Amino acid sequence: MTAIIPVGMGEMKTADKTGCLAVYGVGSCVIVSLYDSSRKLGGIVHIMLPDSSGLDPKAINPVKFADLAVGKLAKELTSQGARSEDLCAKMIGGAEMFPPTEDFENNIGRDNTEAVKKALKKLNIPLIAENTGGRRGRSVEFDVTTGIMRLSILGEEVREI
Amino acid sequence: MQDVTNLTRTQLDALREVGNIGSGNAASALAQFLNRKIDMAVPSASILDFKAIPTIIGGPGTRVMGIFLKVMGEISGRFLLLIPEKTAIRLLHTLIPGCEINDPLKMTELESSCMREVGNILAGAFLNALSVLTQTPMLNSLPSMTFDMAGAMIDGVVADMTAVSDKVLMIETSFIESEEDLRIHIFLLPEPNSLVLLLKKIGVS
Repeated sequence: MTAIIPVGMGEMKTADKTGCLAVYGVGSCVIVSLYDSSRKLGGIVHIMLPDSSGLDPKAINPVKFADLAVGKLAKELTSQGARSEDLCAKMIGGAEMFPPTEDFENNIGRDNTEAVKKALKKLNIPLIAENTGGRRGRSVEFDVTTGIMRLSILGEEVREI
Repeated sequence: MQDVTNLTRTQLDALREVGNIGSGNAASALAQFLNRKIDMAVPSASILDFKAIPTIIGGPGTRVMGIFLKVMGEISGRFLLLIPEKTAIRLLHTLIPGCEINDPLKMTELESSCMREVGNILAGAFLNALSVLTQTPMLNSLPSMTFDMAGAMIDGVVADMTAVSDKVLMIETSFIESEEDLRIHIFLLPEPNSLVLLLKKIGVS
């Protein structure tokens, strides 16, 4: 049986061949997976915020921020033997859980999603699947043997992306 | 800006008392509304790693109802109610005659609006007590509600508070109805930039 490795907020985890990386209860956060299918090597970053600019780079955890996390994961995977031109990305999350009222609206989810797309473009990594936005929480299991993400949303069938 | 990790024990005790006063008032409002006796758990004010928050109610994948309100005024913050599924269903059965809902994912507009009103009453009572205590008017926004996984509800509420530190200040309390297991968790997260004023108003700056 494959061990399931949970990836918490602001964390980066990688696995090869038989690993399964899992994240439960994702709201406005964005989960990005990068995968090198020929080497069966993949990883996940659990991103919380879009942009680290203006913050002291030494004082922050880069994995929390979309603008830094994606590059950091790509670098980690290539250091483990992945080829950067073989990496493909998938992402889920970026919901706005609480419907806006006249006193507040919350765009963190959307901003996170857009910032990830920008970062992927900059790194030239294709985004081959996504399930983002809306008002529902998501859980995901990323099977590094196959590169498939199993996505669960409350009240819906589990689907593979 | 006050760094939450530098709060003294005295300051935390005073914040716990804030939770005590606020939730005491909220509990009596709920008791009146439901016409039942409500017990209150001992409040806690703690500096928590944000990752620990979902575990308070059973882990990030736990199904839970969340009601979110903004606290507005000179002292601002975020107010989050987490209501376990069983409690949410019981509240609906109690409050709406003939209501037979057993899956909160399938709430009707009437049922949603009823739960938002519960949030409004609890937040209003909690913040009223705090306004009196601090001599600073605090108002709550309209409530926003959702039913989903606990982790999903919390990440968007705390994300921007955790850009640099992993720690958030949280005043937490829960109610337990005496006879049956009816439980509501209240979380108050003061905005970091109004923490100095809050501490001053409660005499522990």
